[in-house]
This record gives sequence, structure tokens and C-alpha cells, in this order.
Amino acid sequence: MTDTPGPLEYLRRWPIRAWLAVVILYLYAPLVTLMAFSFNASKRNIVWRGFTLDWYRAAFADQDLIVAFGNSLTIALISTVVSVVLGALTALLLWRFRFPAKALLEGALGLPIVVPEICMGVAMLVFFTEVIPWPTSLAWPLNLGAIIISHISFSFSFVAIVIRGCLASFNRELEEAAKDLGAGEWRIFWDVLVPHMQPGLIAGALLAFTLSLDDFVITFFTSGPDTTTFPVKVYSMVRFSVTPEVNAASTILIVLTVALTAFALKISGGTVVAVEAGEGL
Amino acid sequence: MPDGRPEPSRPASSRPTSSRRSLLAGLGAAAAGISLGAAGLQGCARREKIGANGEEQKLNLYNWDTYTGKTTLADFKAATGVSVRMSLFASNDELFAKLRAGNPGFDVIVPSNEYVTRLRIAGLIQPLDLAKIPNRANMMPRFRNPPFDPGRRYSMPYTWLVLGIGYRKSKMDGVPDSWKWVMDSDRYAGRIGVFSEADDMIELGAKYLGYSVRHIPPAVIDQVADMYIRQKPYIKIFHHDEGQDLLLSGDIDIVMEYNGDIAQVMAEDPDLDFVVPREGSLLNSDCLCIPTGAPRPDNAHRFINFVLDGRNGAEIYETIKYPTPNAAALALMPADYRDNPVIFPPANVMARCEYADFEGLDRAHLFDETVTRIFAA
Amino acid sequence: MDESWRKAKAVFATLSAPPVIWLVVFFLAPLAIIWGYSFGNNKSLTEIAVDGTFANYVHAIKPLYMGIIFKSFWFALITTALCLVVGFPVAIAITFASQRSKAWLLLLIMLPFWTNLLIRTYALMAVLRTEGYINLTLAFFYNGLSRLTALTGHPLAMFQPLELLHNNFAVVFGLVYVQLPFMVLPLYAALDRLDRSLLEASLDLGAGHLTTFARVVIPLAVPGIISGVLVTLIPSVGAYLTPDLLGGPSSQMIANVIERQFKTANDWPFGAALSFLLMYMTFLAIAVQTILSRGRRGRREA
Repeated sequence: MTDTPGPLEYLRRWPIRAWLAVVILYLYAPLVTLMAFSFNASKRNIVWRGFTLDWYRAAFADQDLIVAFGNSLTIALISTVVSVVLGALTALLLWRFRFPAKALLEGALGLPIVVPEICMGVAMLVFFTEVIPWPTSLAWPLNLGAIIISHISFSFSFVAIVIRGCLASFNRELEEAAKDLGAGEWRIFWDVLVPHMQPGLIAGALLAFTLSLDDFVITFFTSGPDTTTFPVKVYSMVRFSVTPEVNAASTILIVLTVALTAFALKISGGTVVAVEAGEGL
Repeated sequence: MPDGRPEPSRPASSRPTSSRRSLLAGLGAAAAGISLGAAGLQGCARREKIGANGEEQKLNLYNWDTYTGKTTLADFKAATGVSVRMSLFASNDELFAKLRAGNPGFDVIVPSNEYVTRLRIAGLIQPLDLAKIPNRANMMPRFRNPPFDPGRRYSMPYTWLVLGIGYRKSKMDGVPDSWKWVMDSDRYAGRIGVFSEADDMIELGAKYLGYSVRHIPPAVIDQVADMYIRQKPYIKIFHHDEGQDLLLSGDIDIVMEYNGDIAQVMAEDPDLDFVVPREGSLLNSDCLCIPTGAPRPDNAHRFINFVLDGRNGAEIYETIKYPTPNAAALALMPADYRDNPVIFPPANVMARCEYADFEGLDRAHLFDETVTRIFAA
Repeated sequence: MDESWRKAKAVFATLSAPPVIWLVVFFLAPLAIIWGYSFGNNKSLTEIAVDGTFANYVHAIKPLYMGIIFKSFWFALITTALCLVVGFPVAIAITFASQRSKAWLLLLIMLPFWTNLLIRTYALMAVLRTEGYINLTLAFFYNGLSRLTALTGHPLAMFQPLELLHNNFAVVFGLVYVQLPFMVLPLYAALDRLDRSLLEASLDLGAGHLTTFARVVIPLAVPGIISGVLVTLIPSVGAYLTPDLLGGPSSQMIANVIERQFKTANDWPFGAALSFLLMYMTFLAIAVQTILSRGRRGRREA
């Protein structure tokens, strides 16, 4: 085994390595600063004055922040589940059937990706006050309904694209073989199609979860005082002066995201990453 | 044989069902865990008890950031048993956009003077029950009958502010006491910060050119626009009310900002100072209002009354360092607040400052288009 | 390969009903309301009367606003080009990495995408500021150099920090920062499907690496490149937070103008018209891309 790189082992050549290192530095330096400054003993986030855990204490003690965080997680969870279901149905529909107005449906599904978020946010605001008034005094989590519905509306297109990519590689002969062996539609779906779609389902779920957790513009317009989410709360905190409490909260969120991703990777054995990459997402 | 070829991956459809089940189980467990955790947290925020006035012991306050005292909300809870949840907004138009389609549940809001007028015209705030606010007697006389809310039927004053120039003493040639240094001169090129609010920019521009901030003739608006376009190469940033942070961090040395904001950073850096230009400036007043459809109007009135009390007010102004319209609070403040020329500019300066007025939607659109033109140039 | 819907009507109904109903009720309906607003005008501070007027669109096509839209497209194009140049070697590196490293590298590239955009943008400001990381590092080296030259009696002039924030550079920097993962992943997907033997054949026949790339890899990766370009270009045009926080006096983009219409100017019909105008132009871009790609496929099959 020689040590000179093979002709296609580009990663082992130093120019590529250097480039990769610079890009990774570029992507991560701001995040590292962010996390480092969450330990900064200064109210204004500008110069380093000393190490402290005060901001983490403040973040955990900030009741409003925790409630907003809880809201964000709940919304993301419900939105993810429904988006994955709707996305899977859509993907199956488009993959399997030929029907009139199919192109129209595909076009309509592309809309959530193209519409400016602020337009969508205002549209949802108007819809939930004029067309279907959503009372904000409902018990939790029903009062989050307007936000959840808005999130589902813009995520399930993305999920459909991901799952569709996964379905494209499915060999229909397997389906036919199952039918020949006497399996009904539901059995075929659950025991043949779903396992094949699994990486797509997980990748789609991850995507929907992140889109929901991170969304700001649309949530801003549909949320109220009792239904604040984490990004909206952070935006209002960060507008005037970024106190390191926000940094601390963000660091917690980043760590949580990394943990979740690691968990998803572990259960799916790495194909999730490949699928998401494969769909260009 | 080059070994750069990657191994083929196992086809997903041959994955054993046991891993699918464990996957579902794992996800289900995670989901349940997070949900329960969130539910537990929410439990703290669920329905509050009903108070003696028949309303839930809760209050939703919609306020600017860092605009209450350190213990104000806790003190209110101790005094009345009502717990306050404060949501933040960053600008008046954000507040308006939120309320425009219907009140999502706020009890007390804190708009600025011009927006009190807008909200009133649009029917989005309700008249106050003055009998429930006896502490309004603490108001300074000149706030009892402001042009934007005659008789104070819809609002109570919370703070007042004046726009001016914050600057770093060591980088200036003398005291920059004219808007010229911000709007019409290249002396401090690349070190200037300007407020990006359309109304403020144009009204102050008109003030610099010698006109009143009200009923500005269209020709003057064009003049102001051309002036800003000429000045743009020297302006470093059009900020959104974080001008004082930029001044403190040294990104800019001269900035159009509110006196209260500058007073806050002056406490951290003695090299900073503030001046109201001699051409005059804009007066603002942030007020407490009750939006239409507030779920707990009685609590809202109690909160407003609480804030107007002398001691509670003093606690607030001690923290936020904005000028107070509350005579009783002022009497309780330390001398370095009362005699601070930044927080309370001298009378001759104040005489040249005026409130702006809401002059109709068309005017607002004209201002916005002018500013879009300035930014695009 | 796909069957007609008539063959399995029950399944078709089950599959199509939920998504279609959701799409219509909770997406198209709200959007239609705003579309209606774009043909209305402000009756009062809070009411809008939809009366089929085109005045808002006429107003939106004025040179002032079209100029801003084109400027936004221009920024987006620069961003996309930069992402392509920066991201291509990264995609190559990942494609040809070992199986284990692949997953880690992909994760590494995608992780920033999962953090909150607002936080990331504020973090970028800390890097680019007058006393941010970049300037501090440069100052360190510059002062070190200055100390050396001082020994020879000619010290250098005072270090002038670079103006990296609150200008167009910062906006493009920020946009590239946000959009890079969106470019790398489609590129990787396309490159990963390449037949390696073609590359090896080209190298065996004596072509150098660069020639192989220019003549073999890039033409084969074109669909991935186009997909990456689209996925980077469209969100960049509609970017709002990045130009708002990082931009300077001349960095206003169309999303900022639209946002002002819905908030400060309180002119929802006009904001709606601008949004839809932007959408129409985006559709046009996608349509052009589809036609071009179909043309190419047709030519290749011919």
C-alpha cells in the first residue's frame, strides 16, 4: 500500500485539503465565537471580559425563554409528524399515478419554496383572523394551532421532494412480486414500500423539524403573546443588544440539534445523510 | 488497482425489520420525552387563578426591549397577585402590524405618540377609565394635554425622549451641535450613523433646513432626499436603534440617537456625550395604552396605575435612564439623574423640539418611497 | 411506468385527498387573499378594498422598484457564482472521500444550516466588525511586521482596520455563508452518481486532472450544477435578514422593501403586488431553466 494518493483520491491531496479546511473555518468561526461569548462576563457582546456561567443560569431562569422554547419544540414535533405523513402521501401519489392536472399539482407544490416568506406570513395572519378565526384562549397546545398549520403548509412540499427522490430508486418489480404472492395494498405499502422509503422519511422528518424550529418570519406573524416561539423571542431580544443570555440559549439549541442529528444518524446508519445530500437539500 | 473506489452501500430495502421497529420505538420515545418535558414547562404557564375582579390573574404586556425596571414586574405581582408576561417588539410598525388584524391577546401596549394617533383612528385602542388611574395626578403638567391625545383619554405617558446626536468626544472637533455634521458634511466621513426610520430621517432633515416637522412641503421633502443622497457616501450605517451600541464599540463616532439610549452607554464609557442640535429636534413620548379587545382590562388599568406611582416609577427610570414624565418619580430620583443634561436637556433647547403628527397614509407612503429612493441611490 | 389513476381509484383517493385539501385550504386560499389584496387599495388604516385595480402593479414596475429587484437578482447571481466556485472543490473532496469520512464531511457541511439564521448572522457580525476576528488577526500580523521593520528604523504606518461590515461585501459574504450548504449538496449528489470508470479512462488516456474536469466531469455534472444554482439563487433573491443586519446604506434588497410595505408604510396592497411581481419573475427563471434543460436533453438524445 503506497502512500502517494491514487488518481481519484482527491481528499488526500493538499490543495483540496487546504480548501476544505478554509471552507470549514469559514462556516464554523462565527458559530465558535457565538458559543465562546456565551461564557463572556460582559453584558454587551463586544469585548471579552472574563469567564462566567451566569448567562446559562439566566437562560435557565428566564421563564419566558423556556416557555418559548417549549412551544418551539412542540410545534416542531407536531408539524414534523403531519408534514411527513402528508409529504409521504404526496410523494407516493406523484410517483405512482398518472392523472389529469398532475403538472398543475407539481407546480402548486413548488409554490411554498418560491413564495417570499413575508408574503406567506401576512397571508397566514389574515387567514387566521378573518377566514378561520383561531381563538388564542384555547388550552395549550391547541392555541398553537395557527402556527402549526402554517409550518406544515410550508414544510410538506420539501418533505415530498425528499421522499420522492428516495422512491425513484424503488424497483417496481418488488411490488409486483408481492402482489403475485397475494399481498393486499396495505401490506405492500407497509412491508415493502415503507422500509425502502425509510431514509427518505427520516431525512424528511429532520428537514421538517429544522424548518419549523428555525422559522422566524411566518411564525412572527401568526404568534401572539401566549404563543411565542424561540426564534421570535430571540429576535426581539437580539434587536437591541445581544446579551450573552441569547448566546447561551443558542448554544443549548445548537447542542440539542447536534445530539438529535447524531441520534438520527445512528438509527439510520448514515443513509439519512446520503439521502438528504442526494436531494440537494 | 486504485483503492479510491468506495464500497457499494447496502440497498435500503434489504434492511431487517428489527431495525425499523427500534427506529420507530426510539423516535417515539424521544418524541414523548420532549413533549412531556414541554408540557411540564407549559404547566407553569397554564391558567392562572381568577382574581377578585373576575379576571384571570395574568397580564400580557407588549413592550420595547429593556423598558421596565429590574423588579417592576415582580413588584406588581407582589402588590396585586397578577403575573405579567412581557413580549417584546422592536418598532412601532411591528406593533401596529400585529394588532391590525385583531388583538392576539395583549392587555397593555406601549406605542409612541404618533402611533397612539394611528391606533386611535384605526379603533385599535380603547378609551381609558380614568377613575381607575388616580396616580395620573403624578403626571407633569405639560403632559396632561398633548397634541396627539387631548385630555389623555387613550394613553398615559410612560417616558419621553428627544432625538439628538451622540458622539465620541475624543474623535470630534469640538461639540457637534448641529445636524449638519450628520446630514450635510464630510468632516466625519465613514464614521456617521443615521436612524433608518423614514419619518425621523425626513422630519429631522426638514428641521435642519429650517422647517417645522409638521406639514412639510413636498419640495422640501425632495430637498431632504437629495441632501441624504449626497451625504450617503459618508454615512457608515443606517441603524435600527442600536446606534448606541455601535457608538460604544467604536464602529461609528457620531450618531443620530435617542437621549435615553445614549445616557445608558455614557454610564459605561465616559468618552461619550450627547447634544441636541441647535436647529431643534423631534420629541417623542412612549405611552401606555389598552388595546381594544384586551382580555383583562381591569388588570391593565391596575398596571398602568401602578407604573404611574412615584416609587414604582423611580425604580423603572433608575434602570432605563429615560426621561420621565412623572413628577412624583422625578422627586425620588438621585441627583445624577435629575441634573443630567443628557436626560433632561435645558429649557431653551427643549423649546426648539416638537412632536410629529400622523398626517395620513398618503404621507406615510410618500415618506417610505422617499427613503427607498435614498437607500437605492 | 406510472399507472393511470383509474386503475386503483380507492388508493388514489386515499393518497390524494389529504395533501390536496391541505394545499388548497391552508396554502392556496391564504395566498389567494393576498393576491386579491394586490389588486386593492387602502380604504383606511386597517381596511383594504379589493376593486381590481392595477395601480399597485403599475407602481411596482416603476424604475425605482424594478432597479431594486434587478439589484437583488444581481447580488443573488454573485452569491451563486461564488458558492459554485467555493463549493465545487468541497463537493469533489466529499465525493472522493472514503465511505466513513463522507458521512462526517456531509454532516460537517450541513450542521451550520441547522442553526438559527438570526444567531448565525449576528455571529458573522462579530467576525467582520472593526474589532472582529478578521481585523484582530490582521492587526496582530501587521503589528508584528511593523515591529520587525521598526528595527530597521522604518516602522509602518498605523494599522487601518478593514471595513468589512455594513456594506455590500458583508451582504454577499453573509449570503454565501448561508447558501453554501445548499450548493454543495446538489453538486455532491450529481458528482456521486458519476461513473468513476469514465474519469479513470480519461486519466489513463493521458489527460491531466484539470482537463478531465473540464471535458468530462463538468459536462456530466451539469444537471447538478443547475439544480444547485436554482436552490441557491431563489432564496438569495428573497433574502431579508442578511441585508438588513449586515448591509450598508446602499445594500437594500427587494425583501427589505417589501417588509417595509407590510410594516412601516402600512401599504399591504403594494407589498402584495411587489411580492407577487417577484414571484412571477422567479417562475419565469424556473421556466427558462426547464426549457433549456429539456432542450439539452433533446439534443443529447438526438
